[in-house]
This record gives sequence, structure tokens and C-alpha cells, in this order.
Amino acid sequence: MLLPEHTLLKPVSLDQCLIMLRDLTAGGGERLEKAQLIAGGTDVIFNMRLKFFQPEHLVSVRRVPELQRIEELDDGGLRIGAACRLVDLADDPRIQSRFPAFKQALDAVASAQVRNMGTLGGNVCLETRCWFTNNSEEWRQGRQGCFKTDCEHCHVIPSSTHCHAINNADTPPALMALDAMLTVQSARGSREVPIAEFYRPDGMDHMDLQPDELLTHITVPATRDRNLFMKYTPRKGMDFSLGAIAVRCGGQGERAENIRIVLGSISSAPIVLVEPARVIEADGLGDASIEQAIEQMRDELGEVTNLYGRATYKKQIAKTLVRRALVKIRERV
Amino acid sequence: MAKHIMSLTVNGDTREFAVDDRDTLLDVIRNQMALTGTKSGCNTGSCGICTINNAAGEAVLSCLTPALEWDGESVTTIEGLEADGQLDAIQQAFVEFGAVQCGFCTPGVIMSAKALLNKYPQPTEAQINEGMAGVLCRCTGHIKVKEAIRNDFRLRINKGAESGSGR
Amino acid sequence: MVVKRADIDLSVIGQRRPRLDGPEKVSGRAQFTADINLPGMLVGKILRSRHKHARITKLDTSKAEALPGVRAVITAPDAKGIWATQNEPAICGEVTRYIGEELAAVAAIDEATAVRALELIDVEYEILPSVTTIREALKPDAPQVDPGAPGNIVSDNTDTYGDVEDAFAKADLVFEDKFVSRPTHNLFAEFHACVADFTRPDKLEIWTPTQSSYLFQHSFARAFKLSVNQVRIVHLHTGGAFSGRGSVRPHHYIAALLSRKARRPVKVAASGDEEFLVCRTLGDNQYVLRTAVDRDGRVRAIDVNATLDGGGQGHALGYFGWMVGLCMTWIMDLDAIRFRRQVVLTNQRPNYLGHGGMMIGTNAGLMQQLLRIAKYLGRDPIDMLLQNAIEEGHHGMSGEHFASCGLKECIETVRDASGWNDKYGKLTPTPDGKLRGIGVGIGSMAAGARGAFKHDTSAAMVKVGEDGLVTVFTGIPDMGQGTHTTMAIIAAEVLGIKATDIHVVAGDTDITPVDVGAFAQRGTIMTGNAVKNAAQDARDQLATNAAAALEVDVEQLVFRNGEIFVKDNPEQRLPFSKVSFGSLHSKEGRFVMGRGFYTTPVDYGTAAWSFGAQVAEVEVDPETGDVDLVKVWVAHDCGRAINPLAVEGQIDGQVFSAMSQVLFEECVTDDGQYLNPSRLEYKMPRAYEMPEVEYFLIETNDPYGPFGAKEVGEGPIVVAGGAIAAAVSDALGGFLPEIPMTSYKVWRECTRLSKSPDRSGPEAQSEL
Repeated sequence: MLLPEHTLLKPVSLDQCLIMLRDLTAGGGERLEKAQLIAGGTDVIFNMRLKFFQPEHLVSVRRVPELQRIEELDDGGLRIGAACRLVDLADDPRIQSRFPAFKQALDAVASAQVRNMGTLGGNVCLETRCWFTNNSEEWRQGRQGCFKTDCEHCHVIPSSTHCHAINNADTPPALMALDAMLTVQSARGSREVPIAEFYRPDGMDHMDLQPDELLTHITVPATRDRNLFMKYTPRKGMDFSLGAIAVRCGGQGERAENIRIVLGSISSAPIVLVEPARVIEADGLGDASIEQAIEQMRDELGEVTNLYGRATYKKQIAKTLVRRALVKIRERV
Repeated sequence: MAKHIMSLTVNGDTREFAVDDRDTLLDVIRNQMALTGTKSGCNTGSCGICTINNAAGEAVLSCLTPALEWDGESVTTIEGLEADGQLDAIQQAFVEFGAVQCGFCTPGVIMSAKALLNKYPQPTEAQINEGMAGVLCRCTGHIKVKEAIRNDFRLRINKGAESGSGR
Repeated sequence: MVVKRADIDLSVIGQRRPRLDGPEKVSGRAQFTADINLPGMLVGKILRSRHKHARITKLDTSKAEALPGVRAVITAPDAKGIWATQNEPAICGEVTRYIGEELAAVAAIDEATAVRALELIDVEYEILPSVTTIREALKPDAPQVDPGAPGNIVSDNTDTYGDVEDAFAKADLVFEDKFVSRPTHNLFAEFHACVADFTRPDKLEIWTPTQSSYLFQHSFARAFKLSVNQVRIVHLHTGGAFSGRGSVRPHHYIAALLSRKARRPVKVAASGDEEFLVCRTLGDNQYVLRTAVDRDGRVRAIDVNATLDGGGQGHALGYFGWMVGLCMTWIMDLDAIRFRRQVVLTNQRPNYLGHGGMMIGTNAGLMQQLLRIAKYLGRDPIDMLLQNAIEEGHHGMSGEHFASCGLKECIETVRDASGWNDKYGKLTPTPDGKLRGIGVGIGSMAAGARGAFKHDTSAAMVKVGEDGLVTVFTGIPDMGQGTHTTMAIIAAEVLGIKATDIHVVAGDTDITPVDVGAFAQRGTIMTGNAVKNAAQDARDQLATNAAAALEVDVEQLVFRNGEIFVKDNPEQRLPFSKVSFGSLHSKEGRFVMGRGFYTTPVDYGTAAWSFGAQVAEVEVDPETGDVDLVKVWVAHDCGRAINPLAVEGQIDGQVFSAMSQVLFEECVTDDGQYLNPSRLEYKMPRAYEMPEVEYFLIETNDPYGPFGAKEVGEGPIVVAGGAIAAAVSDALGGFLPEIPMTSYKVWRECTRLSKSPDRSGPEAQSEL
């Protein structure tokens, strides 16, 4: 599986990188055609081997110093450069003590090898996945094309008008529960996007990111709320999940304030549970209330597909995760 | 495709190579340096068989690394663990505790173990399981691999005592 | 722990010994096929069918041939008359029957050029109706996969021993269960690869991982009309095999064809997902298990009706089945057995055998069923197995005589070690709500199998160097099982020297003597006996010279610890190396070279069987269906543990693989194509899942085995499969009709059984 032909560019400053992106994408076109950003390479090279990504240029951000730093904010929040490695963040005592959910999500990513290479920006922007197409180009020729290969078809739900590939990344649910803010920059300027608004429920176009834009920073605001992350994988190590959950919750014991429950790996975007959160805020974290929240969840999962596992089972996993996460958060001081 | 000249230090030896943008570290190590101890496996980051260590002694996947990205950097492969004609303690432990069977995954498994031990010289069971989850092994059932890892520390101490220089 | 019946005086055998090729493998110096780089070598790439059933209406290679750097392009006419199996062409010409079938191949100066050339081959298909499951294939109006196999049934064989009808009629109860095992992959670490040098018309040289250079040599000779020794097979180190590298596959022939046409050496290697097309392993197999028992727990007869998914070319599969049924008669004293196996063709990858043969599936079904029967009869399953277990001296139904058998001892050992009597039927859920279960499995495995291949022959040579160092020449490959170290230990024991004084030369048919290869668990017993005989021959030659020097009779000599001494007067001695030096440099120049040969004494099958029993303990999460395999107690009658460290390693790997196949591994198919052809999505576990294992090596000292040794190559996996399946079944309180018992299926069964618990009656418990 040779890599498609491309040219590797290595900007040494953020300005140079943004100008490169602007110039390379000036003629328009899709995000992945002209220039693809690369940091750790664990997702990009994987997708290039499968010829999902066939960019003319790879723009490496490994030498862009602005993206490698962690800045401490006055209130105890952290502003994290997108090219910080997952392992370095997981080993950072500030993240360990202040944001357990984030730390747990970082530890949950793939394997030691991948965490030693992969970056936070890469995980936040992880390509969506689908087992009908996530194989080599030759393999894909064995069946009809789909949205991922420029055809108007979805193998997961044939009647669908969009792609149902799954967002399997571990850190987004945790960052969403923690109300993280993303900084997106281009030569045109800079904008801040709440991470909850960054993802879209379309496997082919799952991020709010223009071809000339670069995710530069992830800001995690300080919080005193309890928080945690869990994921369910068929295999304990080195596996994508069939369901993941992140919870942040104010208050103590069964009293819950300002609760946020986010599910990952169910759809093309992480799902923020609204009604279940309302139930818990109103009635607390008692067993009966948790069961009621689970009942309320059903309508918010959207169309659960048979991708990577039976829909009935994935719903069961989601319920179990919600139950276990809420019980666990109740026990947290 | 156009070739670029890059420099890479492998196991302490610095050399220059002509590579194109498509070449990965694995290609350079296996094909240009003829260091075939590092095996080519799935090439997509799942099997861990191509694992090498970076300059910091961390496990990385050579199959997912564009060679040009590592211009000027330094790596260690399985061939680089031996020193003064002696196997490294972890290599010795793998032999002694029967942690090797077919041997194809062994270089990747050992480089993963080495990185694990660099980070945690006396790892817990949980650290061993997580540290070794990135590599696939069909033969050994991992039991004797874990035993070798648990015994590396003891071998290293003994070795240090013998040569009079602890590590 | 090694459990000895009777000790024999041994100085090398029985010690825990690191494998001799360990330092080579841990240092990265061990060479595998992909590491071979011959002068002028080209890269070969294969064009594969992208349709599961289609007529090739156009295959134009002219553009590929014109591409600079391309040295050869081959299509079906180049491979005319070359068959991978009976009905499987090396290159498909007209109608392709499965996704991935070989249509053409190119050899080029580098990979990029070869890949580009494949893209330039113009193929057009006329899509034909297809069948992708056994169920579809057996419908009356189903599309035909092969005109030569009407009704898509390629073979239908039944082996019967004893009077099955009579046994079933006389039995008090008949239990029937349906059971399915889903397709798997052997998932050895080393991908399929082959280097071929066919630049001389009278010599074909092949480098490839294999279980049998002998069978490869014969297949290549037949295909290319060469004499057997005009084919040289070099197998180097082989990165795992697990029943998956026993025969020549299309890619091997293609490498040779490309080399012949390009007049350059060619390397062909499978890529990530190609690996799942090239393999030949277990398909989607279905079994109906009927067992006739009396109320007192005596098992009278078993009737197995198997429907096996042969995939696109299932001719090889029917052939292997004979042992699957028969092995049930090696554990229980039955009156009768019938094993029917119908091989059905589908438009899927051709299937042969997986790790553990087919027996891991049948035993996972049988052990669950025996548990179900025991529960119905109110019996403890272990007592019931002991009641039915065969004993030493038992005469089997197909003429077997079990000269050694430690089955009952194995069962009793794991019963006591696991605390079975305090656990079975008494396990309560864990504080966090996990269901607990304990299961027992038993099994037996033939060591050697004449009839599965024409000869069951091993030869060996032992060369004694002038410095007293010894070289053992053997044709058996070491795929990781440690056979080469085992051979060194056997030779060292005979010659009274250290195993590390022995160098094993293997894997080059130009040098090494004939050996059928490493399958059917024949290595230790067949090759081991050949090496033992060769070492004995060398010892006799040395003894003659030593006796002359010491002026005693040869019968009085003892070879031990690197010395040759007189039995009654150990002070009268000579160093081994001095005798070997003296032999060579005497006036007569007696160069010491021992020759040894062994074949099984029986006409069919084998003369030695291993036996085993295992207890597995599991915890099942009823909300997710996750099965946590907590611990496995393994007792294995291997005859004698030549090297206990290696025996344990074999057991570890097989418990792992059994766990993996029973709980995790499955090629998920959708309309004839795999959805998970990768090492990420094919869910073989990693380090986390492996349970604690406690070993008991029961030494029964088999009269046919070298120093009493039998096998440990595939016995434990079958037993483990049964024990783990039974443990899950015990935890859930019902029969699970399918492996792998993935978390989804276990959760589904938990839900089903919590609504309607198993009635444990004789009637069928499950629907397919």
C-alpha cells in the first residue's frame, strides 16, 4: 500500500503555515484535494494508504512552535496548541488534576505508539470511519461507491442522502463536556468555535473547517465540576469504541447542577444529551432518576446504524455507559 | 518523483539518504539501510510490528512516519539495542523466559517493551498491558512476554552489578 | 508443574531451556522471506477479482506491458495446467468465483511501477448471479458456483464406526444442538510472501514461509513438470502458521511464473487486506450435534452432521474432515459415531482449516452439550466425563490402540487444582453484578496422521564435527513452535552433550533430508524419532572408536556430560570431542555422520495421541456481554515434556488462540466481502485479555514417542475451546449456539435466557 504521490511542506511558523494553506487552496476545491495538514500522521498516513486522502501537498505542523505550547490561563484553564502530542498531554499533571475526563480520554486513544505520535488537533479532527469503505482502494472496487468515494450512496443506510461514517475520536466527547473552545485560524483571520458547534452529523463533512483553515488551539476552561470519560471497546487495548461517554456535573452527591452528558461513537458527530440532562438536573442522580434519564435518551440518539456493531447492541452500550457514568459521577466528591 | 537528501541517525550512525516524499521511515530503515530487523506488517498502524524508538526512547510506528518529517532526527531499531556485543537486558529476558516463538513480531514487541521500560522501569500490570496493547502477537499468548518485562529490572540490576556500573 | 509417572534417567531432556534461535530473533538478525533481497529482484503484484461471481469478458494487458519498468505480465494462459487445488487454477481465466481471485500479475522494477501496471490492465466483467451463504447455496434454484458441483455440493462424506442406529435406539435420551462457527483468519504475524528464482529452466528456487517444504517441493515439481529435486524450497524462519501454510497457493505459483517469464527473481508479498484474501482458513461452518446417552450418564454414541462452507473452491476441505469426528472417540468410550460433512460452495474466499483445525468449533459445541446433558441428568460434568473417559490400553473404533493415555489423570488434576468441587454449581455473581461460570473441556489429538498425506516420513542426519560440535540436519520447519530446539535436545540427550553444542540446519531442500513437515502434530514424534535414530547412529559410530581406545566393549560405554566413559568404571573416560577428532583423523578417516529415519508403525493415522483436560473460569457482564476469562487450569498429557518451557509456551499460545476464536475472532461478511480485513478491525485480542494459566504436564511416557514424547502442538487449543465455551454456557445457564461468542452475542443470549431459561431437555435448544 504505497502512499499516493504528494509533496511534503514544512513551515516553521504559524504565519508561514497559514500563507501556505491560503496559496495552496486558492483555486478552490475540496478540503483534502490540495493540501492536507499532517502532525503525528497516525490518521493522515492511514487514510493516505487507503487513498481516501490524496492531497497534492502535505503541510506538516511539527515545526510550527506556536502549536506546540500549553498556556496556563489566569483562572486555571489551559490553552493547548493543536500539535501537542497526546502522550505529553496525558502526562501533564495539570490535566490530570484539573480535567479527569480529558485525561481519561487521552489515555483511551489507541495504543502507546499512536499516543506517542498523534496530536490533540489530529484527534479532534479525526476522520470519520466506516467499515464498508475503510479498506484499500482495490478493496473498495469490490462494491458500489459511496459518499466517501464521490458517489451518491451510503452502504450503511442505502436510502440516506448523506454519509453515516462514525466519529470515533475519544477526546471530542470529553472536550465537549468540558465546554472547550477551538481556535481556528487562516490567513484571513482567526475565529473561536465552541467545540459543540464544530461537528456536523455528516460523515463526509463532519467538521466546520475550511480548506485554508487550521485548528490551532484548544482551550479548556477551568471547572470545579466533577467530570469523567469512559468508553466501551470489544477489545480492551488498541480499539475504537462502540460507544463513549463524557460527563461533567456540578453539585455534590446526588445533587446535580449544570450537567453535561456527551456520547461519542454513535453518529458522525458526538451527541449532547439534552432531556436526560434536564431530568438529572431536576431530580438528581438517584437510581430512579438515572433510569428515567436513560428512557429519555432514546429519541436523542438519532438513527443508530449497524456500523461496527448491531444498532440494538450499540443502544444497549449507550444505556449502560450512561448508567455507569452517572453512578460513578455520583460517587465523586 | 523528485528525490530529496535527508539525514537520519539510526542506532548512532548518521547517514544521508535520497528519499522521495512517499518514503516512510520504515522504507528507509529496511530498504536503504538494510536493517531488516524492523518488520513490515499492516502498514496502517494497527499491528505494531514496525515499532522503533525515537530519540526520547518512546515507541513510534515507522510505517506511519513520512521519512522527510524526521530529517535530522535520531531513532533506535532492534539492531541498536545490543551494546558491546551483548544483548540488552530486555532482549536477554525475552530469550530466557521463552517470550519468543515465531519471532516475526518480536522486534516490534521488544521495541514496545523497551519504550515501556524507559518510561516505567518497574511497570505495574496495568502499565504492561497498556504498553503492550499496540502490538499483535499470535504465538505467545503474551504470558511469557509479560514475564520477561517483569524480570527486565532484575536482569539489569544483576548486569550492572557484574560490570560494576549500574544503569 | 511436571507430573511424572516413572522417571527415566535423562540428562538433557526435561530441563527448561530457552530456544536456540532466541538470540537471533531478539536481535533482529533472523531472516524472513520479506527480508530476502536477490540481485536483480523484481516486485510482483497480483490483479484480483473485484466481483464475487463474474465472467471475465475482457482482460487487456497491453498498456501494462508497454509501461517502462514492467518486465513481465501474466494471465491465465501463462498458468495453463497449474492448479492450486483440484479445481482452483493458479490464475483464473474465464469465470471468477470470489472476490480476490487472481486474474493477472505483473513483475516490475519497483513497487510503484508494479502498482501502476496493475492499474493499466483493462478488465471487464459480466456479473453473474451469486450465493454468499450456505443457506442460499443450498436452495433448489440457487445459482451454481461450479458446474462440476451440482446443487453447490462439492463433496458429501460420511464416516461411520459402530452401529449408530442401534446405539441411538438403545440409548435412554438423545440430545440435539445446532452450532455454528464463523469464518476466521489464522492471523500469523508474517504476511504471505514468496520469492521465486526461476531464471534457470532446470532449477526453481523458492523462499517462502511454510509448514512443509516437502509438499511445496512436490507441488511445484508437478506444476512445472520438474523432477522433485529440481525444486529447491528455502523456508528460513516462518512467522507463524497455525494450519494456514500447508499448501502451495496461487501467489506462490505466480511468483514462479513471473520469474520464469521475466528471467529475474521476483518477490510477491501480500498487503494488509490482501492478506485476508490469500489465506485459506475456516469458513462459516454449521454443525448439528446429536448425542445418545443413558440416564446413568454413559455416552453411547455421537452423530455429527456438518455443513462446511468451502467458499469458491471447496475441494480441499472435505478431505480434512475425517479426524474431526474420530477425535470424539479418542476421549470417550463410545459404541458408535457418525460424522457427515457436506462441503458447500459459495462465492466466498476458499476455506480450509484454522488454528485448531475444525476441532475447536466441534469441541466448543460438544463440551457445551455435555454440560447441558450433565445438568439435565443432575450429574457433575466432570464426574460424567470421568465415567466416559478412555484409559490406557483402550482399543479405538478405527483400529487405534492407545498405548499411553493420561486422560483421567488430566481430568482429576484440573478438577482438584481449580477447586472445581467448591465452585461448580456454587458460583454466585460478583459484587458488581457479573455472572460467574466454570467449564471443563477434554480432548485428544493425534500425533502424526498417515493418510492425511501419502507418507508420514521423516529423515534426519547428525554430523559430528572434529571439535565435538554437532550439526543436526532436518527438513521440518520451525514456525515458532520450537521444533528445532526440541531436535537439538533429543540429539544432545542421545550423544550426551549439551544442547547448545548442537547447531540445527533446516529449511533448505538442497541440503536437508526429506521430512513431510510440521502439521498433524507430527514434529516431535516423527521428526523427533528420526533425529533420535540419526543421533543413535552417530553415537554407534563414535562408540566403536571409543571402545577401541578404551579397550572395552561398546555396550559398556555411557555418553554423558560431554564425555564417554565406562559404565562400571567412570574414571575410564574420554572427552566426546577427543573421540570425534580421533575418528576423523584416524588412518581410516572415519567421518561420523548419523542417519535416521522414522515413519509411523501403523498403516493409517498414528500410534500416539496426546490427551488433555482444562477448566476455565469466566465472569460475564450481563449488560455488555463482555466475557472476562479469569483463569485456565491446563493438564496436558504430552507423553514427556522434552522442554517444559517450550511446552508451556505452546499451551499459552493455544489458550490465547482458543480464547480469541471462541470469544472474539470473526471475519464479518457482507454480500461476499469482508468488512473487517485488517489487524485493527479483526478483533484478535492483545495483552490485556490473556488469563492466568496454570500448567500440569502429565508424563505418560508413550512407547512410540522419542523418550516417551507425543505432542503439544494442537491438543491444548481444542481442549481450551471446549472449556471456555462451557464456562460461558455455565455462567449464562444455557447453550450458546455460535462462536465467536462476541460480547454482542453473549449479551443477546443473556437477554434471551433471562426471559426464557433453558429447559435443559433433550430437544434442540437453538435455531440457526
